[in-house]
Amino acid sequence: MSEEATRKRQEFEREALVHLDTLYNVAVRLCGNASDAEDLVQETVTKAYRAWDTYERGTNCRAWLVAILRNTFINQYRRESKRPSPVEYESVEETSVFESVQDRDPEGSFFRYIVDDEVKRAIQELPEEFRIPVVLSDVEGMSYAEISEALELPVGTVKSRLFRGRRRLQQRLYEYALEMGYIR
Amino acid sequence: MTAFWKLGKWKCEAGGTPPGDIDCASVVAQLYEYIDEELDEETVKKIRVHLELCKRCYPHYDFEKAFLRFLSEHGRISTPPELKRRIFQRILEEESQG
Repeated sequence: MSEEATRKRQEFEREALVHLDTLYNVAVRLCGNASDAEDLVQETVTKAYRAWDTYERGTNCRAWLVAILRNTFINQYRRESKRPSPVEYESVEETSVFESVQDRDPEGSFFRYIVDDEVKRAIQELPEEFRIPVVLSDVEGMSYAEISEALELPVGTVKSRLFRGRRRLQQRLYEYALEMGYIR
Repeated sequence: MTAFWKLGKWKCEAGGTPPGDIDCASVVAQLYEYIDEELDEETVKKIRVHLELCKRCYPHYDFEKAFLRFLSEHGRISTPPELKRRIFQRILEEESQG
């Protein structure tokens, strides 16, 4: 084994594999199940390793990896499953839940009763256009610029999808909390 | 007469200047960007002043912040350790293949 190959692997581990959790989180949200997500992450990492020489040092590695993941998903996985249905932009309520709860629970303490599984389900139910930006921002803590690079979208689009995705998610969690009696 | 923002009304009443020189609707529209620290300095300053004085927008800001904090704490799915192991193994194999 050459020293150079070892150096490359070590650098890849240090720079790229630290983002494995991000890749897995996004993969599960794209695929909707753990087994496809694992395959997708494996494939993404292999591709990224083979393309490591083309990665521009000093640029955002996490965004570069998510872009590879997303393109791999589009090219291979989506072909087999049905394409996501187009977003029905007009039909969904996108006002803030704050409007509905400000007199009863302005601090949003009802959120605390909602179990993780329900949060995950609600995220999964978002249209993909909204789901991935929300996960990248609110779970992974990526900036708008990073998300824009990862998803190859203008920053303005990222911003508006985040806004609408968050509002929808909030609405969905509120409806769940109402159903469960966490809020009256 | 109490200023509109103290009454917590949505729209600016004629003649009143909203705190921070920015009205409630614009503040609410930009709350996420404000929390995400994605706004320019000047807008940040205006919104900060507004939030300090507006009885309606401040709780709204607090609510949205609580919501985003909740998401970041409860939305994560952890990577199966077995997958991590397989991936490090795969990279070692790639290395040996040159």
